[in-house]
Amino acid sequence: MFLNLGFCFHKKKKCFFLDSQCYYVFTDFKKTEWHAVASWTWDAQDETCGICRMPFDGCCPDCKLPGDDCPLIWGACNHSFHLHCILKWVNSQTSQAHCPMCRREWQFKE
Amino acid sequence: MELLGSSSSSECNLGILETLSDDAIEEITESYSGLFTTVESLIAGDSSVVEEKELVSHVSTLCKYGLASLVRDHFLSSLQQAFDKGGASTFWLHFDNFRHNQHSDYGEEIHQALCGALEEISIEKQFLEKCLSTLVHALHSFEEQSSDSERVELFSRFQSMLSSTLMTTLPHHFPEILHWYFKEKLEELSAIMNNEDDDDDAQQLESDGMDLDDKLRSKNGEMDVDQGFSRHDDLVKNIGKVVRNLRSIGFTSMAENAYASAIFLLLKAKVHDLAGDDYRTSVLGSIKEWIQTVPLQFLNALLSYLGDSVRYGTTTTTPSGLTSPLASCPSPSFSKVVTPSEGIVRWKLRLEYFAYETLQDLRIAKLFEIIVDYPESSPAIEDLKQCLEYTGQHSKLVESFISSLKYRLLTAGASTNDILHQYVSTIKALRAIDPAGVFLEAVGEPIRDYLRGRKDTIKCIVTMLTDGSGGGGGNANGSGNPGDSLLEELMRDEESQENVGFDDDFHTDDKQAWINASRWEPDPVEADPLKGSLSQRKVDILGMLVDIIGSKEQLVNEYRVMLAEKLLNKTDYDIDTEIRTVELLKIHFGEASMQRCEIMLNDLIDSKRVNTNIKKASQTGTELGESELSVDILTSTILSTNFWPPIQDEPLVLPGPIDKLLSDYANRYHEIKTPRKLLWKKNLGTVKLELQFEDRAMEFTVSPTHAAIIMQFQEKKSWNSVDLAAATGIPIDVLNRRVNLWISKGVLRETRGRESNGNMYTLVESISDSGKNESEELLGGDEESERSIASVEDQLRKEMTIYEKFIMGMLTNFGSMALERIHNTLKMFCVADPSYDKSLQQLQSFLSGLVSEEKLEFRDGMYLLKK
Ligand SMILES: [Zn+2]
Ligand SMILES: [Zn+2]
Ligand SMILES: [Zn+2]
Repeated sequence: MFLNLGFCFHKKKKCFFLDSQCYYVFTDFKKTEWHAVASWTWDAQDETCGICRMPFDGCCPDCKLPGDDCPLIWGACNHSFHLHCILKWVNSQTSQAHCPMCRREWQFKE
Repeated sequence: MELLGSSSSSECNLGILETLSDDAIEEITESYSGLFTTVESLIAGDSSVVEEKELVSHVSTLCKYGLASLVRDHFLSSLQQAFDKGGASTFWLHFDNFRHNQHSDYGEEIHQALCGALEEISIEKQFLEKCLSTLVHALHSFEEQSSDSERVELFSRFQSMLSSTLMTTLPHHFPEILHWYFKEKLEELSAIMNNEDDDDDAQQLESDGMDLDDKLRSKNGEMDVDQGFSRHDDLVKNIGKVVRNLRSIGFTSMAENAYASAIFLLLKAKVHDLAGDDYRTSVLGSIKEWIQTVPLQFLNALLSYLGDSVRYGTTTTTPSGLTSPLASCPSPSFSKVVTPSEGIVRWKLRLEYFAYETLQDLRIAKLFEIIVDYPESSPAIEDLKQCLEYTGQHSKLVESFISSLKYRLLTAGASTNDILHQYVSTIKALRAIDPAGVFLEAVGEPIRDYLRGRKDTIKCIVTMLTDGSGGGGGNANGSGNPGDSLLEELMRDEESQENVGFDDDFHTDDKQAWINASRWEPDPVEADPLKGSLSQRKVDILGMLVDIIGSKEQLVNEYRVMLAEKLLNKTDYDIDTEIRTVELLKIHFGEASMQRCEIMLNDLIDSKRVNTNIKKASQTGTELGESELSVDILTSTILSTNFWPPIQDEPLVLPGPIDKLLSDYANRYHEIKTPRKLLWKKNLGTVKLELQFEDRAMEFTVSPTHAAIIMQFQEKKSWNSVDLAAATGIPIDVLNRRVNLWISKGVLRETRGRESNGNMYTLVESISDSGKNESEELLGGDEESERSIASVEDQLRKEMTIYEKFIMGMLTNFGSMALERIHNTLKMFCVADPSYDKSLQQLQSFLSGLVSEEKLEFRDGMYLLKK
């Protein structure tokens, strides 16, 4: 309507998309409150832990809470496991431990 | 004639006549006719002393010849004749006027009439008895050794003759008159007693506020009380006289029936009056008190007036004995010192039983309302409990209550919430009456059956258990603070129970027993009589609710979905109530079952922390560019998705600045939390935004999808749905549904586009175009009709669809099948890929879904294909 009349009542306001354009409806983002939802995931190649077979986004059998309480750890071979799982594995080995996936000597990634 | 007639019964030695001489016969004849005249004048009441002497000589002459029985018979038949002519007919004449009274209302006059008539007939009777005494006297003067048995026999023959005469001529309305009389008198008596009570109370109040002198002086006040009692005494004496007169004319049982029925009638009216429709006070006490003060005192006084056995405990019997026992009783409240006679005790039991039964019937008839009003109505429940303990008529309660349930509650019109609330109240109320739960079981069964057939039952149960603020169905959750969940209430109950009378050792044991019991393993809790009742009591309500659902797993599952939805709608991370609820559920259902809910709560706590950290990190960053947004407007909830119910993901393209904000936020997260990263679920969340139009500004709280749609209209006034779908990334059918929100708010308008590219949506620029009231528009905002979490029902539906074909096939083959048979058949045949692992309740809810889709029919407990 106001376009036809040749003026824009938004002229004085700061617009985010294109400064020169007139808006039919204006959303002031400064007054907007946006509550978003996300999920978190481990940035790993595999989906499940090769030792306990549980999903990484869950937790190891000994833990109750996923995430910080049951973190993932990477080996030098780039295979990842639940920290608790690989520690158990390493401790159970009498000699030098090997990666359960690739059998290479297990070393924590630096 | 008379001679033959009356002598035929007795042993008349007519044979003697033959052996007698003529002189003797003449003597006999003379005496016999002399007897006739003297008896006649005696009974007529105008006999002189001479005539009485003549009578004696005639009697002795006749006796001499062994004709004593002839004399007796003649005398009695003369008395009867006299009574027939006089007493009986005049007696009934008194009541002729009342023959046609309608509705048994006889008015005041009947009292006079009855008393008068009875007085009269008693006098008549006394007179006739006096005549009879004269005869006895005459007979005795002849016989050497006077036997009292002769006298007794004669009087009893006279008495029965008199009674049978009256009985055979009894007008049908006389018993009714008696009933009316006693009813009136008892009411009068009751009124006197009531006034007395009031006076007593008034005096009590007065004297409480007085000093000692006044109290001494106020002793004069007792005069009033005495007067009250004397009025009472007079009344009882009057009634007593009537009863005594009735007894004397042989109407003993008729009189008793009359006053008994009047007493019961009055008692019934009193019970109705006291009980009323008020369920919040106990009435049993006042009923018993009334029985004690009115009918029992009356009966006590009456029986003692009549000389029936009443023994006084402390007071000695006066020499005058039976004539005026009332006068001999010095205490103003004469019930206290009297050791009640057996008769009174029996009366007391009869009256109390009747009162209990009457009150019980009244309360049972209104049980539905009483339970609606529970626990405010618990006094009425307590009364009912006592009544039932006395009468043992629990089955009456069960029958009547079930039928009112079916009629009033278990109908399509009642909401599931209301039914559940009434169910819980019923459990609570009946548990008080019947701790063993036997009748509760019978009453609860139809409700449970009915609820199992409703689709929203599980949801309502879980809501009721966990949510205090939400779906209260009017009559709320019973005791405790409004806004409390049922679970909260059960817990408080338990705590208060624990705090009463158990020491600490018991505490923990008991709690453990309770926790064990609340797991509802099929085997019963070991019966420890000390603990059993307490723990079982608690389990009842929850257990019975879980019983409707089928298993605690289903309940927890439903709660998890509900919790997920609640948490996803939070924007302020305030989850105190949810934490409390989950804690309570953990106590009842065990930690393990609530594990996933706990992780969900933990996600919210973590999200809040992460959100703060990200904002701190951002503030140190560089100045915002022209089109950049501050991170302050963004908050987020970060889920451990594995532990949440399935969430419906929808594609969505967000406006550029917002999208940029989100990816910055995700990057920061990754920086802080490496090696974890964020994946946005862009369609989820809550957006509060303000839209500014030419002539107005409006605030809305909507989903990101809605926000993304409306923001597209900043650049372009009209969009066709195809283009808009492309711009927002929303599938076109979803888009067309979502746009409806803005149309209903008057922000957009649907217009027919010229192109065939679907619908055309146009911005309503100013309010004058909208045709809508602004205040109305401002009200609504967050009516989110679409759910982001798949409901348990949807999930089940999805999982069950694979069996649908199988079920249809089964029904095609078998025609119709009961729920259980379908269940068993599925279990038997669907053993692999995937095996059938659903519960009976789950199957039932799936089948009722198919019924509502009109694929199946449910008739007489059987499922069949819809034709
Ligand atoms: Zn593992
Ligand atoms: Zn772990
Ligand atoms: Zn490896």
